[in-house]
Amino acid sequence: MQARRKPGTASFFRYALLSLLAMVMIAPIGWIAISSLRPPEEIFLHSPQLSWRTFVPEKIIWSNYEMLLASDFPQAVLNTAFVAFVTVVLGILICSAAGFAFAVFDFPFKNALFVVVIITFIMPFESIVVPLYIMVRGLNWNDTYFALIMPEVASGFIIFLFRQFFVKVSRELFEAARVDGASWWRIYWDVALPLSWPTVVAGALMMFIHQWDAFFWPLVAATSQDLTMVQVAIARYQQFEQADFGRLFAAMTVASLLAILPFMALQRYYIRTIIDSGFK
Amino acid sequence: MPIEPWACDMKINPAYYFLAPAVVGLTVFKLIPISVAIVGSFYGTSLMGESVFRGIDNYRSILSDPDLLSSLGITLLFNLIANPLQVVLSLAVALLVFRPGPLIGLFRSVLFLPVTLSLVLTALIWNLLFDPFLGPVNAILEAVGIGRQGFFKDETQALGSMVWLATWRGVGYWMLFMLAGLYAIPESLHEAARIDGASWWQRFCHVTLPLMRRPIAFVLVAATAINMLFFAPVYIITAGGPNGATDFVMFRIYQTAFNYIDLGRALAMSTIMLLVVLIVALVELRLLRSED
Repeated sequence: MQARRKPGTASFFRYALLSLLAMVMIAPIGWIAISSLRPPEEIFLHSPQLSWRTFVPEKIIWSNYEMLLASDFPQAVLNTAFVAFVTVVLGILICSAAGFAFAVFDFPFKNALFVVVIITFIMPFESIVVPLYIMVRGLNWNDTYFALIMPEVASGFIIFLFRQFFVKVSRELFEAARVDGASWWRIYWDVALPLSWPTVVAGALMMFIHQWDAFFWPLVAATSQDLTMVQVAIARYQQFEQADFGRLFAAMTVASLLAILPFMALQRYYIRTIIDSGFK
Repeated sequence: MPIEPWACDMKINPAYYFLAPAVVGLTVFKLIPISVAIVGSFYGTSLMGESVFRGIDNYRSILSDPDLLSSLGITLLFNLIANPLQVVLSLAVALLVFRPGPLIGLFRSVLFLPVTLSLVLTALIWNLLFDPFLGPVNAILEAVGIGRQGFFKDETQALGSMVWLATWRGVGYWMLFMLAGLYAIPESLHEAARIDGASWWQRFCHVTLPLMRRPIAFVLVAATAINMLFFAPVYIITAGGPNGATDFVMFRIYQTAFNYIDLGRALAMSTIMLLVVLIVALVELRLLRSED
């Protein structure tokens, strides 16, 4: 066999680099989370001058979170959770059905239609915000949950992921069910959809995070206080003249954790689905 | 196996039932808005508040507006730095976590962590960390002797700070697509090259890189589509400043539409940006294809 570079050195550099990168990725979030446990007047007390106090609070308090609970933030979390939940349920149904159709049936203009689907997910959302806003206002939907949910339900990317999954399922499986007299609806609902659960999990996670992170659209389409979404609420906390940093840091920590935790729990399916979908 | 024999037993192709909701959704919320944008870009609002046809006047006035052209220049410069940087770093990081090893799964998750943060949170976090007076990054820079920096508050550093922010959040995401590409390379090719005595660098240049062209192209084009319309951090951190250093086109479009309420002009700008994204993406694809 060929003499290779000593695995020890290579491995050391690999882990040293990875540790450095991991620090750069984690430290910012960690600093926010730690600072959220400090009294508001202490948050920036130790940050201008480097000392161990920059990273370790003098004492840990929860009052920032108590204040957050008493503010409009819980309402924003509930709004966003509701919007995300409805988007995920409708979106998974609609997109899996469309992905199923693209994978299993032949019909006129199939390829042309699929190209249109791809174009809609390459087309950045920002480029249609203004016309979408005009339309939604025309429908009298501005400042309603409809405005926040409906535009996000049909997603070209999720349709694409389901199509990639169903294409790989052996057609004999669907055929067998067909011979047994099952309707297409039954085959989709009882065979195809349960089979695709890793894609369902990954797609649901993507749609959830997408709505949880939504900012530009809620900023223009739902301006009323009752409909405030999480990201808009946080951006607003920061803009107050006398920013309440205790509340801001607590809100940022909660918003980060609520996006990070579901991802950490379900990331296997997310990563698998992207890797299996054929970006090669 | 062809599908026709079992698809014929219904009058209407069952595909249409399954497709209908998604097609309606995509048509109403994607295709119609984009058509409205293109049509609306030829209209304007009269002093009486009525919609009037302006022809190409919106475009003519935009393209001769030096402020807009400088915005376009800033946006293009940002892309010229951020996109190749994100491609190279995401490929490098993917190579680091590709081979199995102890804790590699954990590192992969950690590198992906910033992706789950919204752009709003990313912007707020880095705005605080980079604060010239209160930010801990400056405390660290001062302690190691580099000295304090202005970052987002400094005209010459603001754009670079935006590149850092976008890259910090983007690399983990693009890493997944690079990993997908790396997994698709047959191990036997590496093995054969190794037996031929190829070094790591030779194997990277002659085995990995040529077979990674598609994921690299995908990441480059997708990053372009996102970074050309970079918005939230500008809105939150700099509002286009200091002194116009981060006056991205998307921020200008937002201001034109929602502060100056000139929708026709904003739509014309959106249409131009969509065209610019398409053209840049096509050029990138062409360049990557003709490299062999």
